[in-house]
Amino acid sequence: MPAETCIMGLFKDDGKAAKVILDLPAAGFSFRRAHSPIPSHRILEALKLRKGRVGWFTLTGGIIGFFAGFALAIFTSVQWNLIVSGKPIVSLIPFFIVGFEFTILFSVFGNVIGLLVCSRLPDYGGLASYDPRCSGEHFGVLAACEAGREGELMDFFQKKGGEVKVFA
Amino acid sequence: MTDLTYAQIDETVLNTLERPRPRYWVFVALMLCGVLLGAGAWAYQIFVGIGVGGQDIPVAWGTYLINFVFWVGIAHSGTLISAILHLFRAGWRNPIARAAETMTVFAVCCAGLFPFIHLGRAWQVYFMLPLPNQRLLWPNFLSPLMFDVVAISTYLTVSSLFWYTGLVPDLAVVRDRSTGLRHKIFRVLSLGWSGAHHQWLNYSRGYLFFAALATPLVISVHSVVSWDFALGVVPGWHTTIFAPYFVAGAIHSGLAMVLTLMIPLRRIFRYEAIITLNVLENVAKTMILTGLIVGLAYGTEYFIAWYSHNAVEWESFRWRAMGEYAYGLYFMILCNVLIPSLFLLKAVRRSVPWLFAISLAVNFGMWWERFVIIVGGVAHDFAPHAWGLYAPSLVEYCIMVGSFSLFFFLFLLFCKHMPSVSMTEMKETAHHAG
Amino acid sequence: MNTTMPPVQPGRNAAPQRSLFTLGAVLAAAGLAAFLAGLLGPHPQRAWQAFLINFLLWSAMAQGAVLFSAVTHTVKARWTGPLSGLAGAFAGFFPVSLACFLILLIGKNHLFPWLHEDLHGKEIWLNIPFLFTRDGIGFLILYGTGWAYLSQDLKLKFGTSAAGGGLRRMLAGRIPQSDTDIQRVQRRKNLWGGLYCFAFALVLSLIGFDLVMSMDPHWVSTLFGAYHFVKAFYVGLGALIILAAIVHLRRGRSAGIAAAHFHDVGKLFFAFCLLWADFFYVQLTVIWYGNIPEETSYVILRTVTPPWDALAWVVFIVCFIIPFVVLINRRIKTMPGAMIALCSIVILGIWLEHLLLLGPALNHAAAELPLGVTDGLVFVGFLGLMVLALAYTLKTFPEFLPPGGEAPR
Repeated sequence: MPAETCIMGLFKDDGKAAKVILDLPAAGFSFRRAHSPIPSHRILEALKLRKGRVGWFTLTGGIIGFFAGFALAIFTSVQWNLIVSGKPIVSLIPFFIVGFEFTILFSVFGNVIGLLVCSRLPDYGGLASYDPRCSGEHFGVLAACEAGREGELMDFFQKKGGEVKVFA
Repeated sequence: MTDLTYAQIDETVLNTLERPRPRYWVFVALMLCGVLLGAGAWAYQIFVGIGVGGQDIPVAWGTYLINFVFWVGIAHSGTLISAILHLFRAGWRNPIARAAETMTVFAVCCAGLFPFIHLGRAWQVYFMLPLPNQRLLWPNFLSPLMFDVVAISTYLTVSSLFWYTGLVPDLAVVRDRSTGLRHKIFRVLSLGWSGAHHQWLNYSRGYLFFAALATPLVISVHSVVSWDFALGVVPGWHTTIFAPYFVAGAIHSGLAMVLTLMIPLRRIFRYEAIITLNVLENVAKTMILTGLIVGLAYGTEYFIAWYSHNAVEWESFRWRAMGEYAYGLYFMILCNVLIPSLFLLKAVRRSVPWLFAISLAVNFGMWWERFVIIVGGVAHDFAPHAWGLYAPSLVEYCIMVGSFSLFFFLFLLFCKHMPSVSMTEMKETAHHAG
Repeated sequence: MNTTMPPVQPGRNAAPQRSLFTLGAVLAAAGLAAFLAGLLGPHPQRAWQAFLINFLLWSAMAQGAVLFSAVTHTVKARWTGPLSGLAGAFAGFFPVSLACFLILLIGKNHLFPWLHEDLHGKEIWLNIPFLFTRDGIGFLILYGTGWAYLSQDLKLKFGTSAAGGGLRRMLAGRIPQSDTDIQRVQRRKNLWGGLYCFAFALVLSLIGFDLVMSMDPHWVSTLFGAYHFVKAFYVGLGALIILAAIVHLRRGRSAGIAAAHFHDVGKLFFAFCLLWADFFYVQLTVIWYGNIPEETSYVILRTVTPPWDALAWVVFIVCFIIPFVVLINRRIKTMPGAMIALCSIVILGIWLEHLLLLGPALNHAAAELPLGVTDGLVFVGFLGLMVLALAYTLKTFPEFLPPGGEAPR
């Protein structure tokens, strides 16, 4: 017999969902996750989350890209150091273009990696305790309660105006 | 738009993914024929040689370059709408952002084919890649053509990633509303997205960074494309205005293509409540601005050609207005500057037939602008004995038909199998309005 | 469309105090004294150079700031809040700018190198009567449309306190009385706003070609005109941020300029820093790569030849590197004091950039930079003129100031 059961309360209004999140600890239940079809400021504020860390990945990628771009252009030029069109072997003015494009490219790679890592995607396992209505018009709040208190938790959600779904 | 419920948004968009009628497959087949025609012509060119194209001395760059620039240009306004307008928090972009991003990705794909096509011996692209080899050969990154390789590949990669990232929450919606094979496919594609709070927190920031990075990318990519011409010394090409001029022109042509695509799309998919007339009107208003910038650029070029008192420069511009291809210049001015200025009239901006007609005119005019610049530059440069003319060959026409067909083929496939309006962003709009 | 507009109540203690007028007058006097001393000295040409540089710079600030109001109105941006009103106050400098332009006529022999050169046919464009006529008409059109736009804007903001001095009464006499009246004024505001934006692009391009590029009459860069108007919007935004920050620091929260406003306009400033640098780089790359002597001589002189090469690096660092690195940080944009410092540095940088562009043309074979105390004092003098113009405008039309206690959107 599992020690705790997860139950999700589904609300059509994110304000209600945010209020529920704030009231959960007082009622003695623990919050697990909130699902929503759109990013909701109210829910994020209720959770008092700090800003995401994706930006650091992006910045790192950008810095790597900047030096990689210049390095590639300078290295290839120096390897085959014939003067072409009277331009210096290492010319920073045109090489800046390569550096710039690589900065953007690697920033984006950093951004994508950061997104995947910080959001913990792909996460097919997480769909086990997920209700498809959360991508439609419902805001879902997943809470856990000890075995035996399921009825209380279901009541709690229903009193706040939500529908209920129980996960094993 | 503001009184749509989430359920209505979902339903309107998901309905478009229903089984298509036979008429749809007829269009797809037609486009596929065009693609095969182009592919066949290209295969013929690879076997016989680049000489089957119409380009020769002195006009070594013809429709392959014109179409390259044309498609990259189309791609740019997709990024403008999805990225730049996101930074400006212009809500009117939400209904068309998805289709615009898709247009970008497919247009870059089409554009990216043309450098290969123009190589003739397409396998020689190997030498443009910085791969270590036993002959110690490296590409020369001083060359604008190498800037192109870097810029276009970056743009294709970034646009695709941006497009896909934007799609993920919507793919989850489709997953949750479908069964069977479609459910399985979208389950994989949506990466297990569940709209959890930690996912949204990072997603919103990640998307903002994407938009902030795509913006300078748009400007730099078309500047790089313009430098294929401006960094040479050909009169009519070697001018400092090219980079911003090309970027503005790209956005102008891209917005026209957005209208050309959106107007039939909203009719066929019954998106009138989502892609409202206000949205189309805002696109038209933006085209007033880009049309004016393009017009200012035309005027400035002529003024500076005179002011410079450089005989070669002036002859190039005189010939442009009075020579064998003068009709191109007049198409250009008429279709890119004069006709879009009709959008200053509210009645024209809010009339769907006018919007569609003017968008076609601008597409036509912007193609001719690239013709006038590219062909007009090299056909009539320094040495009079080297002046010449150019006409595309049948192979080039077939490849051009193939590229347009490829674009519409991909777009048609996308529309019926993926959500062509971002349900998530529409819900956000409804949420902020409510 | 909001047809009933409540009159805007200027906040208490809103009007600029006398001390500001005194400050402005003192600075202007110092500048005037330095200018006259320079004129009467051995090198009047230096004084005229300083005058031209500052005329261009400070006019650009005023033109760019008013553009902010016109553009954000035309695109119906909703984030600007009280910033649009403040931006309009810079129109007070327009008459000063016009007067300074006419004063340039007096110094023509010291200012225009092409008067003493063989222009091989360009004389029909580069001659004093034609240049001053077309540029004068350009300024009149630009300032006329700007003022027409702002007067419609003021009409919509006037309340019962529309009595006052001559200028106010002139406008107040035609305050809209009914809803249809209000709609008509709004339509006119839209029209003049759009026309100002259009005139800005055309007139500032023309000024860029005529008063800056033509100083080297045999050199061309097609983008130069556009570069000039992008530069003008860049410094205009900087000036607006400084004014908004000062108003915010003096009046606190009652000014209604929220952190979000500073953040947004700071982002726009950052964007134009990038755009200015982009327009500079675009010209540099094309000229460098083409390597055509008649184009490169201008750039070589200014970027790798002493004494100008050091100045070029300073301009690059001050106008691009510093704002780029500083403004990446989100919080700095919302700190008014920091933004005043940063925008001031940028404005000084653009002042030096004008010197970089004009100096070599006006000082052939200079051994050292033509930058001295006189030049600094003339800059200070124009600063005084701008302070006076802003103070006078805000006193006469406190409607430009943010209304006291209005909640930011």
